[in-house]
Amino acid sequence: MTYLFQILNGLGLGMLYFLLAVGLSIIFGLLQFVNFAHGAFYLLGAYLAYEGVERGLSFWVAMPLAALVVAVLAGLTERLLLRRVYKLPHTFHILVTVGLALVVQELVIILWGPLGGNVAPPEELSGVMILGDFVYPEYRLFVIGFTAILAAGLWWLLDRTRLGAIVRAGSESPSNMALLGYDTLRINTAVFALGAGLAGLAGALAAPIRGVEPFMGVEALGIAFVVVVIGGMGSYAGALAAGILVGVAQSLMATLWPEGARLVIYLGMAGIIMAMPRGLFGRA
Amino acid sequence: MIPFLDRPLVQFGLALATVLILPLAMRSGTLASEILIFGLAVAACNLLLGYTGLLSFGQGIFFGLGSYVAGLGLMRAGLPAPVMLLLSLALGALVAAAVGWVSIRRQGVYFVMLTLAFSQMFYFLAYTFSGVTGGDNGLLDIPRPRLGGTVLSDAWTYYAYVAVLFLVLFATLQRVALSTFGRTLLAIRDNEGRAGAIGYPVRAFKVAAFAISGAVTALAGALHAMLIGVAPLSNIDYHTSETLLIMTIIGGSANLFASLLGAGAYLLAADALSAIWPRWLLLLGLLLIVITLFLQRGLWGLIERAVALVTRTPPPAESLPLPLVGRGQGWGWRRQPPPVEGHPATPTANSSPQGGGGQPGARPAPEANR
Repeated sequence: MTYLFQILNGLGLGMLYFLLAVGLSIIFGLLQFVNFAHGAFYLLGAYLAYEGVERGLSFWVAMPLAALVVAVLAGLTERLLLRRVYKLPHTFHILVTVGLALVVQELVIILWGPLGGNVAPPEELSGVMILGDFVYPEYRLFVIGFTAILAAGLWWLLDRTRLGAIVRAGSESPSNMALLGYDTLRINTAVFALGAGLAGLAGALAAPIRGVEPFMGVEALGIAFVVVVIGGMGSYAGALAAGILVGVAQSLMATLWPEGARLVIYLGMAGIIMAMPRGLFGRA
Repeated sequence: MIPFLDRPLVQFGLALATVLILPLAMRSGTLASEILIFGLAVAACNLLLGYTGLLSFGQGIFFGLGSYVAGLGLMRAGLPAPVMLLLSLALGALVAAAVGWVSIRRQGVYFVMLTLAFSQMFYFLAYTFSGVTGGDNGLLDIPRPRLGGTVLSDAWTYYAYVAVLFLVLFATLQRVALSTFGRTLLAIRDNEGRAGAIGYPVRAFKVAAFAISGAVTALAGALHAMLIGVAPLSNIDYHTSETLLIMTIIGGSANLFASLLGAGAYLLAADALSAIWPRWLLLLGLLLIVITLFLQRGLWGLIERAVALVTRTPPPAESLPLPLVGRGQGWGWRRQPPPVEGHPATPTANSSPQGGGGQPGARPAPEANR
């Protein structure tokens, strides 16, 4: 029974990892841009949700609002700053986004203090679900269901809509897209905002589970990279599978060997890379 | 590029001058030692970034490893300091070769992410096995080395100890960079496919570069542990890797002295700013953005521009993000005109009679085809 509990926990965690990683993945796919500030967007999403709830907003308003604000801020950043950097080598993509991440992290500490806080789950979901002798927090079940719907919606968006086709075509050949008359600059901004918004949403959803603290961004960035490396960059299915795999493994290890839970994740990643250098779903 | 400044003897002279000036200009021997120690680690990072084109986010692994070798070697095993330092070199090379061997299976961004994930892995390794590493507390009470029966407990005497090692290793790294091996690394950086096609075992060279870089970084880590008397968990975490990389880029990846410059500027700024404002990292973040936008050749680029102004040679082109050509031509070499992108010396296959214009769609830009 504890295993079922941990697997469900892991599923929820894994879906949040998926949201993080898929944002990172589509940004990289379209822009060829390594976003080390991705963890900072997650951090910001969590804190904005925290602030919203503290100010008396319902979580149902604060959560999407936080994601939206993160998306808008990210879009502005792309427009004003990152756009100038695309043509530089990767080193500078990393430098500028590491700088951005530092700025966000320090601003968070200045605005909200270094200690962090807790976010109460919404009242409707603050209880537990009882099935026989199995007890599970309702909010975590909601996260699993909600992110599953979101993942399906995102898949539909990327795979079935015109916008998705543009994004995918843009990651194949941006110059051809420009030649066909698409405004690739605007598409870039939109996709960057979307990816960052997903990270912000993951942060807002995670806030009631794990609380908020200023260094959650760095941790999330590391995990997002692991998920992307295991799943294969640019692969939607890979991000989903690897996200869940990492989440479930981490949760199970939390009962089996608590101190080593994180270690196992990274060892597992090293093993997978040795066996399959392109990741589980990576394209050749 | 100002060829004069890139000459090995000039570079070494600058490093030597820095070593001699620091005691005159600074009050804190600890901070001065830290500058040399990080200068060493940053130069090692630069061997990968500037010379091999490998952006490693895992340099903290080797730095932290060196710290732990110092703690365990001196206190648990009771090794004398020189033996312990040699051991840190060897273990640093070994671990770096292993990390490098796995990481270079992927290229570009994937490589960066792998090294970052490895740095997390080693952090949690150190965190998990707290019986060996002391976990969150780190290893405490690490003694300073002895020389001729006396313990180097004074900050400036330890500085001298560090300074000698620094100069020896700086010269060694210079030799490596100037050797055929180092030249081959440049070839790999500039065009990996071509270097491979000529017949160089590219992967072996990259692993070797990793090993050398890791060995020097680990020794720097050991020196750092003896300096502060602790081998803290933070020496192996993500932030150490990040800091080393930031120092490398702030200095500029053009040459090895630029690395000392980057380490010094970072540490002095951190020391001054953190005393004034605990949130000084915000300013660092802004600085990184400014460097990306306006100062892509780092502080070294500034120096080059200043020298160009004084000597009235044409200033180096700031548009070139990384000094890709003509670096460190060695003794007696004339500077050659920088080759233009796309190798104009050999006529390309499709430079057909209708001229070089071509249709935009016909030949995609190098960035477009992945």
